[in-house]
Amino acid sequence: MKISREWLQTYFDTPLPSAEEIGHALTFHAFEIESVESVKPQDGHGAGNDILDVKVTPNRGHDCLSYRGIAKEVSAILNISLKDDVGLRKSHMEPRTNVVSVHIENPELCARYVAGYIKGVKVGPSPKWLVDRLAAMGQHSINNVVDATNYVMFNIGQPLHAFDAGKLKENNGYSIVVRTAKNGEKIVALDEKEFALKDSMLIIVDGNSDEPIGIAGVKGGMPAGISEATKDIIIESANFNGISVRKTAQALKLRTDASQRFEQQISPELAGYGMRAAAELINEFAGGELVGFVDEYPAPQQKKTVSVSLEKINKVLGTQLTQTDIEDAFTRLGAPPRWQGSTLTLEVPFERLDLNPPAGGPEDLVEEVGRIVGYDKVPAVELPPFEGEVEINANFCAAEHAREELVAKGYSEVVTSVFADKGERVVANKVDGVKPYLRATLTDGLKEAFDRNNRNKDLLGLDEIRLFEIGTIWKGGKEVILLGTIDKRGAKEIALKTETAVAYNDLATSHTDRYQPFSKYPAIVRDIALWVPTGTSADEVESVLVHHAGDLLVKHWKFDEFAKGDKISYAFRLVFQSFDRTLFDGDANERMESIYTAINEKSWEVR
Amino acid sequence: MEKTKTKAMPNCPTGHIHPISSLIREANQIFSKMGFTFAEGPLIEDEWHNFDALNVPKDHPARDMQDTFFIKDEEGMVLRTHTSNVQIRYMEEQIKKGNQPPYRIIVPGKVFRNEATDMTHEAEFFQLEGLAVGEDVSLANLKGTLARFFKELFSAKGGSASGEKDINVEIRFRPSFFPFTEPSVEVDMRVVGENAPEKLRDRWIEMMGAGMVHPNVLKNAGVDAGKYQGFAFGMGLDRLAMLRWGIDDVRLMHSADLRFVNQF
Repeated sequence: MKISREWLQTYFDTPLPSAEEIGHALTFHAFEIESVESVKPQDGHGAGNDILDVKVTPNRGHDCLSYRGIAKEVSAILNISLKDDVGLRKSHMEPRTNVVSVHIENPELCARYVAGYIKGVKVGPSPKWLVDRLAAMGQHSINNVVDATNYVMFNIGQPLHAFDAGKLKENNGYSIVVRTAKNGEKIVALDEKEFALKDSMLIIVDGNSDEPIGIAGVKGGMPAGISEATKDIIIESANFNGISVRKTAQALKLRTDASQRFEQQISPELAGYGMRAAAELINEFAGGELVGFVDEYPAPQQKKTVSVSLEKINKVLGTQLTQTDIEDAFTRLGAPPRWQGSTLTLEVPFERLDLNPPAGGPEDLVEEVGRIVGYDKVPAVELPPFEGEVEINANFCAAEHAREELVAKGYSEVVTSVFADKGERVVANKVDGVKPYLRATLTDGLKEAFDRNNRNKDLLGLDEIRLFEIGTIWKGGKEVILLGTIDKRGAKEIALKTETAVAYNDLATSHTDRYQPFSKYPAIVRDIALWVPTGTSADEVESVLVHHAGDLLVKHWKFDEFAKGDKISYAFRLVFQSFDRTLFDGDANERMESIYTAINEKSWEVR
Repeated sequence: MEKTKTKAMPNCPTGHIHPISSLIREANQIFSKMGFTFAEGPLIEDEWHNFDALNVPKDHPARDMQDTFFIKDEEGMVLRTHTSNVQIRYMEEQIKKGNQPPYRIIVPGKVFRNEATDMTHEAEFFQLEGLAVGEDVSLANLKGTLARFFKELFSAKGGSASGEKDINVEIRFRPSFFPFTEPSVEVDMRVVGENAPEKLRDRWIEMMGAGMVHPNVLKNAGVDAGKYQGFAFGMGLDRLAMLRWGIDDVRLMHSADLRFVNQF
């Protein structure tokens, strides 16, 4: 989530440190920071701003896809107190109204629905500070009503929606119904796109006309959209089931700021605070008369407590924290613990759905202590010697044995893809659609690898390509590991036999320091044979050749040598290649000419 | 770009093992000295071992179509998305045999993600899983174990006693989230000291995800989560190889190109 430093500051009296410091604090105690962007003031005057892109982890989507959530984290980590709990001042839903009725047909998909009825608003532009704050979130200002609902969503994490009551059917008041859609039912969303709905999707309908006016938790509908002409509005602050919203958003390919928040499952308690905050802001920006609220909340969220002992925390973290250290961490998180002996109990803040007894209650608290105190306080301690016995893996022994044998015979190990164009088992959903089968043999992959490498034989300095692979195949309903080999005589594959051993052999591993990128362009090969006087070493000849062959020479070796009378004949193979282009014969000829010249100067004799 | 060094051809060329094999060999040498058993498991896995038992809920986004390869006409079977399936399989098997913890295993092996490939992403790649369970295996032990592993890995020269360089490795944790661990951490590593490889020296590098095994995972495998606790980690071997040898394209691992393999 994007976090504007200026907006975050509204939660604190004390000036916040720099964006970098906030970023550092979050990185080591809460969340990864994707980026920090510095924004210059628009008109060149006033203060600039910084935007942190915070990667909220899935377990904290309940509370931290909001300024309030991030402010609570920053407060705990940096130990600076929050102003007061901004945004959450009131949650009682008074006064009540019966002008609007709310009926939830599927309470398992909608835990709470609060509607607020405001009459006589004046829809218009938003104040500059609001336009600026939404701009910091990458949002365009729409109008003062819609902007107010979006502001509350970013500020405290509760998505809201505003309907134009004038566009709803009136029949002794207004009626909002939350129900699943009928297959084939359609809605035109606020973005003017039409969506075909399915019976798995939860929607909001005008109860008096049965017309869909919103896709629950995803997007509002055109039929009741807010316009300049809107006078009376109904605000929705609801709680929808995360899984249902995620599936709907996915099926409609319509992921919104609202659906993203519901997908993570938020507390139904938040709906009350959200409604209050939005109603106040709308009243401030657009006037009107708050007629009242309707609150359908069949099963209010129960308060939870969670406990853990000091010993458990230290045992899991491997630390020696004191009761004071731990008390401090939780107090900073806004959840001061009660102690009973060395066991602490705390009341879980309503929005922290992640602190979830009994699923992982104590571990949840251990993690809270660990990250707030800081993982740098966890020492590095090696494990004590193992009391048990290290089992020797028979398959690995066999594979290692095969590797040693084959490498000694000049075979190199390759790894080829398990995906193939034929086989017994098939992947149902391969992204690229290519080669969806799982191989039933290593041979096909090895043949292909052999042919490709064969073209580079000279470049590799090999007389013959020899390859092997130890890999998994699927055949006859079984998953087996085979050893496949290939050389110019053909390909073979056999089952890898297991080998029992009492210990692993201490085999050599790669001595290579750095990998050297290789050219993707073809190479040109030239052979040269020459007579030199007895006593002239191959090394001396080689160094002359290398010197005059220049930078394009990538590989060379002596392939022949014999003596005749007072002369020796050496033959070398030279391989030329460029990193930037395909070489032509002319390039190689030019290099060879300068080699011939050098040889003449030495009074050696090209054969 | 650096040029390939001109090398004379050896008279009788021996072959080369794949860099991933070399790395697994080396990891096993280091970890077996620390008491870890090399364990393995199937590549086609059921959803219980790949997801459910690892505390990944049914509706977790990771189980969606785009990340996981599902096997056609085989209900609930997937290409494993991590080596963590072997955590469950190993512990189940030990409990069945009547062996209570301590357990220490590493699981090097191939894993799959259903995504488009590029220089840093492959649909099939290698992971090294680690699991240590005991009465008091702690997060501090995770730090110590990984520090020792990387120190030996980056000090060693070809596994022989000769020419070892003395370096130091620091491990840093950052908070993270995985369904199968709590606390969950991202692990950064920094190689320090004069003998550290120049390209790595003093730089924090993100290495893996890790954490303390979630009690639900222990329970699901039949281990008494009230009595035992432990750590688990999963690091990408392709990435480790790329880092160690300066390899610039992950696709080289599966290229079967000897211009690549024969450099190791």
